[in-house]
Formats: sequence, C-alpha cells, structure tokens
Amino acid sequence: MITGTGVVKTYKQRGKMLGAREVRALRGVDFAIPKGGAASFIGESGCGKTTLGRIIAGLETYDEGEVVIDGVAMSGLKPKERQPHFRKIQMIHQDPYSALNPTRTIHQTLHAPLSLRARQTGRPRSWIEERAAEVLSLVGLDPGSVLARYPHQLSGGMRQRVVIARALTVDPEMLVADEAVSMIDVSLRLGILALLKDLRERLGVSVLFITHDVATARYIGDDGELYVIYRGQVVERGAVDTVIADPVHPYTQSLLSAIPVLHGLEQPGEQPVVPLESLDESRSDEGCLFARRCPFRADRCEGERPLLQITDGVPQEHACFYPERRNVIARPLSEV
Amino acid sequence: MTVLLEGSSTSAAMRRNFWAGVWRVMRRKPSRLVGAVLMAGFVFMGAFGPLFYPDPLPRDVNQLTRPPSWQHWLGTDDQGRDVVALVVTGSRYVLLAALVTAVITVVLGTGIGLFSGFKRGRWDTVLMRITDMKLTIPGLPLLLVLSTVWKFSSAVQMGLVLGLLSWGGVARAVRAQTLSLRERGFIEAARGLGLSTSHIVGKELLPSMAPYIAMNMLIAITGGVYSQVGLFFLGVLPYESNNWGQMLNTAVFRSGALTVPSALGFLIGPLLAILLLTLAIVLVVDAMDEIFNPRLREE
Amino acid sequence: MSKQAPGVRIDGLTVVYKTPAGELPAVRDVSLTLEPGSITGIVGESGSGKSTLALSLLNAVQPPGRISAGSVEIDGLGDVVGLGGEQLRKARGRHIGYVFQAAQNSLNPLKTVGKQLLDLGRSHGVDDLRGLVREAKELLGRMGLDGARVLDSHQHELSGGMRQRVGIMLALVLNAHVVVLDEPTTALDMITQANILKIVREVHAERGLTTLVITHDIGVVAEVADRLAVMYGGRLVEQGPTREVLGSPRHPYTRGLIKAIPRLVGDIDEARALPGRPPTLATVPKQGCVFRERCALRMDVCDDVDPEAVLQGTRTVACHAVTVKEHA
Repeated sequence: MITGTGVVKTYKQRGKMLGAREVRALRGVDFAIPKGGAASFIGESGCGKTTLGRIIAGLETYDEGEVVIDGVAMSGLKPKERQPHFRKIQMIHQDPYSALNPTRTIHQTLHAPLSLRARQTGRPRSWIEERAAEVLSLVGLDPGSVLARYPHQLSGGMRQRVVIARALTVDPEMLVADEAVSMIDVSLRLGILALLKDLRERLGVSVLFITHDVATARYIGDDGELYVIYRGQVVERGAVDTVIADPVHPYTQSLLSAIPVLHGLEQPGEQPVVPLESLDESRSDEGCLFARRCPFRADRCEGERPLLQITDGVPQEHACFYPERRNVIARPLSEV
Repeated sequence: MTVLLEGSSTSAAMRRNFWAGVWRVMRRKPSRLVGAVLMAGFVFMGAFGPLFYPDPLPRDVNQLTRPPSWQHWLGTDDQGRDVVALVVTGSRYVLLAALVTAVITVVLGTGIGLFSGFKRGRWDTVLMRITDMKLTIPGLPLLLVLSTVWKFSSAVQMGLVLGLLSWGGVARAVRAQTLSLRERGFIEAARGLGLSTSHIVGKELLPSMAPYIAMNMLIAITGGVYSQVGLFFLGVLPYESNNWGQMLNTAVFRSGALTVPSALGFLIGPLLAILLLTLAIVLVVDAMDEIFNPRLREE
Repeated sequence: MSKQAPGVRIDGLTVVYKTPAGELPAVRDVSLTLEPGSITGIVGESGSGKSTLALSLLNAVQPPGRISAGSVEIDGLGDVVGLGGEQLRKARGRHIGYVFQAAQNSLNPLKTVGKQLLDLGRSHGVDDLRGLVREAKELLGRMGLDGARVLDSHQHELSGGMRQRVGIMLALVLNAHVVVLDEPTTALDMITQANILKIVREVHAERGLTTLVITHDIGVVAEVADRLAVMYGGRLVEQGPTREVLGSPRHPYTRGLIKAIPRLVGDIDEARALPGRPPTLATVPKQGCVFRERCALRMDVCDDVDPEAVLQGTRTVACHAVTVKEHA
C-alpha cells in the first residue's frame, strides 16, 4: 500500500528578469494505491503527473506532505534507508531507447540487479541465470534469442518488454509506467498495456499508469482509480469507468472532448467542451486554477479555490463548484 | 547468438566478439589501418629502436651537417651523427613522456569529471572551482619557471608535470558528458534498482564514455609531444638525452637550418616524426566511435 | 490571388535507399492521387515509408536514398521528379509548403521567428517583404496568436502548440497550395492537438489547399482527412474515403490497426495488438506480400506474389485474400 498526503513540490526557476520564480509542480496531492491495485494519473504535459510519479518511485524528493510505503513514512528516513522501500516501486520510462544501456547486452542488463537481489536474499548464483530467463518469459520474450543481444538489435516494443523485465528482477510491488507506450508503434501498444494488466493479475503487482491519453488508462483494469491532474492539483478522482463515462469537472471533460473521433465508426459526443487555450504564460494563482480556460466559469471561481470534495449525486471526488454531467465522449455507431 | 551464455564463458566470448568487431571497424577504411600500422611503428620504435644503435652514436667528423644522401637518408647533424638514428633513439624519451602525460591527463580528468558530474552538489562546486583555477594557470610560463628548478631528466618526470598541467579540459568535458548521461533513463533505472554507485559509474557510465575517453587519450598524446618538443626547442631545458625537441633546437639555432640548405635534413627528421605521429593518431581516432558503440561496431 | 487548388498524382513511385546489403526500397510502386482541394491522410507505423513518400513530393529524398521510378505530377508544376536545382528550390515554399516532423524543434533557436520569415522571403526573391510580414501576421492571427508578438519571439519563448502554428504559417506564407504536414501533432497534448487539427481543417478550407497529412495516429486522420491511405512496409495497402475505410476496413492490416486503438467505451477485451512487429528496411520481404508475417488471412500465394492494388468501388486494396473474396 502506497499513500501520499498533501504532497507539495516547488521548483525554483530562474526567470529571464531578476530573481527566481517559483513554479508549484504539486499543490498538496493525496493519493492511495492499494497492494495489487491500479491507478492512473491523467493530464497535459507540465501538469505535475510525471513529477508525482517520480516522487512515488523515489527518484525525486518532495517539499511538504508525506509519502508512506507499507506503513513507513519516507520523510523521516535518510536517503540510504529509503532505498529498500523504494526498491518496491519500479519506474518504466517513456523512452525504451534511452532506458537501456546501449553498450550492454540484455544479459548484462539483467545480471546486475539480479546478482544484487541474490545477495540480498541469500540465493545461489545459479538462481541468477534461471531468474533472468524467467523474467524474460514473464514479459513474453524468448530468453534464448534475446539474452545475448544488444538493445539496438531489438524493436521498440521488445525493448520496452526488456525494461519491464528488468524492473521485475527486484521483485517490485508496484510498477510506475510513465507514458510507457507513447513511443511504441501503434500496432504494438496494446500488447504492452495487456502485459501490464497481465502482470497485475499474475504477480499481484500494482500498476500506476501516467499518461495524457485517457483511453489507455482503461487497460490497467476496471478496478483502477483515475486521477485527473491540472497544474499540480487533482481536479477529479474516481473509478476509471465512472470518470470516463460521467466526468463532472470541465477540465476532464475538455480532455475527453479532445480525443479524436473515429468518424465512420463513432459518433462524437453531443456536448463537447472546448477550453480556452492558455497561450498566455503568466498564469494566475488566484481562485480555481482552471477558471481562466473554463467555458463555464462564474464569479465565484475567480476568487475562491475549489478543493477536492464529494458532493451529492456525484460518485467521484471533484474540485469544481459547479459539477455537471455533460455528454462529451464519442460512442461507437453500433451502440447509438 | 541463440545460445544461452553463462558465467565466465560469457565474458570470454564477449571479449572475442569485441576484438572481432574492432578488426571489422579498422578494415572498413584503409586510412585506419594505415594509422594503426604507423602507430605500431612508433610503439616499436620507442620500445626497441634504441637497441639497434650503439650508445653513444658514432660521429663522423668528415660528414658534419650534411644534406640527405644514400648513406644518411636524412643527412647528419652538426656532430656528424645520422639524423635517422637520432630520431629513433630520441623517440623513447618523447613517446614515453607523452604516454605518461596522456595517462595522467585522462585518469585525473576522467576521475574528477565523473565524480563531479555524478555527485553534483557541493563536491561538484568545489572540484569545478579547482578545475577552473587550474585552467587559468598558463601552462607554458609555469613550465618555464619550473624548468629553472627541475631538470626533467627522466621522461616520467616530464610526463608527470605535463599531465598535472593538462587534465583540466578533460575534466570539464567528462563532467559535461556525465551530467547529460546521468539524466538518461538507464542510469536512473540503475539508481531505482538500487545498484551500487561503483556499478553505475564503472559499468554504466564509463563504457558509455569509452569512445570519448579513448579519443581524449590519443589527443593528449599529441598534446604531450607538442609541449615537450616546444620546451626543448625553446632551449629552456638542459638536455641530457636525445629527443626531437632538442634536435629541432640545435638544427635551427646552431646549424641555421632555416637558411642553410645542407642542414635541412636535420630539421626535417624530427618534424617528419611529429607529423607522422599526429597523422597516425588522427587516422585512428576516426575509428573510436565505431569501436566502442556496439551498433556501429557490428553493422 | 486565389488559385484553383492543384491536384497531385503520384504514379508508380519507388524510392530506394543504398545500404551495405544493396539498394532496398523504402517506398515501392505507390500510386496515389490527391484530389484538388482534398485532405488526404497517410497512416503508417515506423518503417512504413510514409515520411519518405512525403519527401518525394518535394523531390527532397536525401542520399543514400533516391527516387528510382515513378512520377509525381503536380498541377501547374509538372513532374517534380524531373525538376532539379533552382527550379526545385523555388517550387518548395511557393507551390508546396512543408511542415516538418517535430516542427516544434525545426525553428532556428538563434533567430526570431520574424527574422526567419524574412530569410525565407529573401531566398524566394519576394520583393514585397512588408506584404509578406502582413500576410504572416494575418495567418498567425487566424490561428489565434498575436502575430506581432510571435514574430518578435525566439523559439524557446513559444509553447509546443505555438511553434506548430508557426510551422504551418511558414509553410503557407508564400501562398503554397499544396501542403504536406508530417506528424503535425506528435508530442502535443490532447487539447493542443485538437486545436491544431481544427486549424488545419479551417485553413485548408479557407485558402483552397490540397493537403497531405502524414501520421502514425489513425485518430488524427479520422479527425481531418477526407481520404485515408494506409502504408505498410513501403507499400500502400489500402486507400479510400476516410469514413468508409474506418467503418469497414478491408485489408487485414487496416483492420488490425483499427482494432489496436484503445477506445473510451465498449468492451476493452475486443481491442487487440497485432502479432509480430513492423518490418524495417532490412527485414521487408523481397517478394510476396509485405504483411504476410503478421496476417491472419495468409495464403500460399502471399509468399510469392506481391498483391496488386485493386480498385473496388471507391476503395483500393492490395490483398490476395480480399481480392479472392470479392471475385468469389
């Protein structure tokens, strides 16, 4: 079980003019991912979803709040003491090309973490080779043909499978997949998504999926939770299917409306929400963070910030004063 | 490629593959082979060349400062010694000193650059300030000052001093490389997996920089040759053994090779040696990228 | 000023790349007509030859590649394959506008957008540079930007979506009427992508263009294109009106590709990845159908005979299995 409460991360950015500008990457985020569970962080680039994922994987620190892994709070520990906890959470990077060392064979790549694991758990050296073959089989690769190869001899999809296999070498409890399929050929993406889902079912690892493509979030399983993040704040949170089918926050609705419609196969939603584009970089920190782009904003939104809450008649949490269901997503013609 | 490689046989097989790959890369361009042959020639000359000549070299008082002839291919010096023999016997000091310079430059530069770039933070700041300070010390004047107290009679001493003076640039460059590499996914993944720092630096970072380091090493050799030849040419160091810089000094200042045609061979000898060595290195450097990159090595 | 949108006819185009293993075709015998005033989308994965095909439209395939056969006829310009040197340079920009892949990064980081615009104008011998700037501001304004401010900006001061708009402006500002957009929305966020696609559609209609969109994302084509062409392993395997191809894909690859897209509603278990992986230049089969290794409908004939593109109503499909079924 991995939980976070009020996680804040602020970057100091050197501005063009004198003085540093503070960029709030995360503004007090709560999350909870149960053992064997699944969650997705959805949002546009720069919304903080990747930062949050990296904090959860222990690759970045946070300024306020707390991250708790299996009951142990991370902020009280020294960096060395955190390592065994963060070992349980492995990151799958977006780019399978830079995630593997081009000068090392797949065998070498897997051997290093496995021999570390063998030492930690007191297993014999022979276990290393067995396990290397095993993790490759788990991700659907043929160990015999892959082990002796260099990354450049594998396709993007195969590399991403090797990356997942490498993460499995240290027996993780959770995989954090950051846009893990966006650089993979379209015809192969689903295979990787299915693999993550399959690993959840077979090994009981939980999966945190970070993406800007809402549709892929469905593939981690229907028991998963969806977090919609905008400018460092979770603006909507609930069961995957609920949030996708009945979003109430205008930002979630904008994201869903923006997904291309496969005309000929699908019929577009009747009430698409088109947000005002924020071409102006001087963003206001007053009131609702989405107010300036929101087509439905009211006076109250300018002065007061809505917090994540539950209101009557809405099954999911949301951060909007005026939650309203809108028919935004495209549906297959066969269903209409 | 389909066999499951294990344990020690893996590393032996990989080593074999590596050298087979090196051979493939070298064969790709004839110029690389020429460079490698030239370089082997210089190594042989430095190691065994002096053994072929008597010490001290015979002097022929009837043949002082002669132009090239069948008997003396590059002529003779002002004491009637054969220039070819001088170049060969003088190579040991020059090449050894240059090699020591290069090793020290690369080891210090890479070590400091790697450590600085990988640790970042306070260590980085301190080390880079030191590097900057070192870079601001002008090398040649310092050497001139040092030469008044130190005679550099042995090549190792010479190399040591030159090496200590020239690691700054490599350190800066390696640090920059490290900083960009450590952001790469595979380094981050290694940290996430909990692999040790020595593994990350030694097995992940260093091999990724191998072509770069090898290139720096080779170029540092030419740098080492130039600086010591320059020092001896300026005549600020008393010379106790033959070397190319001292030959140039005598050729120009004592025999007037710039105006006297008969001393031209005396001048050309060491110059030709330096030129060929530089050429050899330039030709071989071209292959480094392909040798250390598995993809380029195999294609 | 407004000309008739030109038509483009690509006929039997083959582009080969010189490799150590000999000359390998990246695009093989592709015939495709871009009707005047239409938007055509080419969909393909990595190694399908879609970007090479787009470059052929400008006769801009770089060595070691070359166009080895076929023609690209553009109305008012003639066969582009026969053009060379100065003529070709003038044609690029004047007749054919090109928005490069990752246009977000194709601007010169050292010069303001305005400077780059003037460079473009000068290299094409535009006399009225004021007019050019006016036109650029108008185009940028049309795309929802403050023209004057953008022209004064450097690349790093613009967001991804803004840079993409600048790329489109630079492609159109010389009044080109054939426009090629290579992966116009890759690396952009969903909302920005939707905006850019809307702009492409609107500008296309307003200026009377003939547009070609190259992408790996069927959704992008579905949003903007009238006609859809699917490429695989250097071959054009299916083409036809977008709605028809999406509604009832015939080539097994097209079917597989559409099935492989995660959707928001419906049974998620229906979505399937295609088995195998897309071929590279080196692994494309020399003879027979390029898709057979991953195909569920594979027959004996597929191993030896490359299926011809057969016209079936509004559609062209290159598949033995489909052709056999049609004739049965």
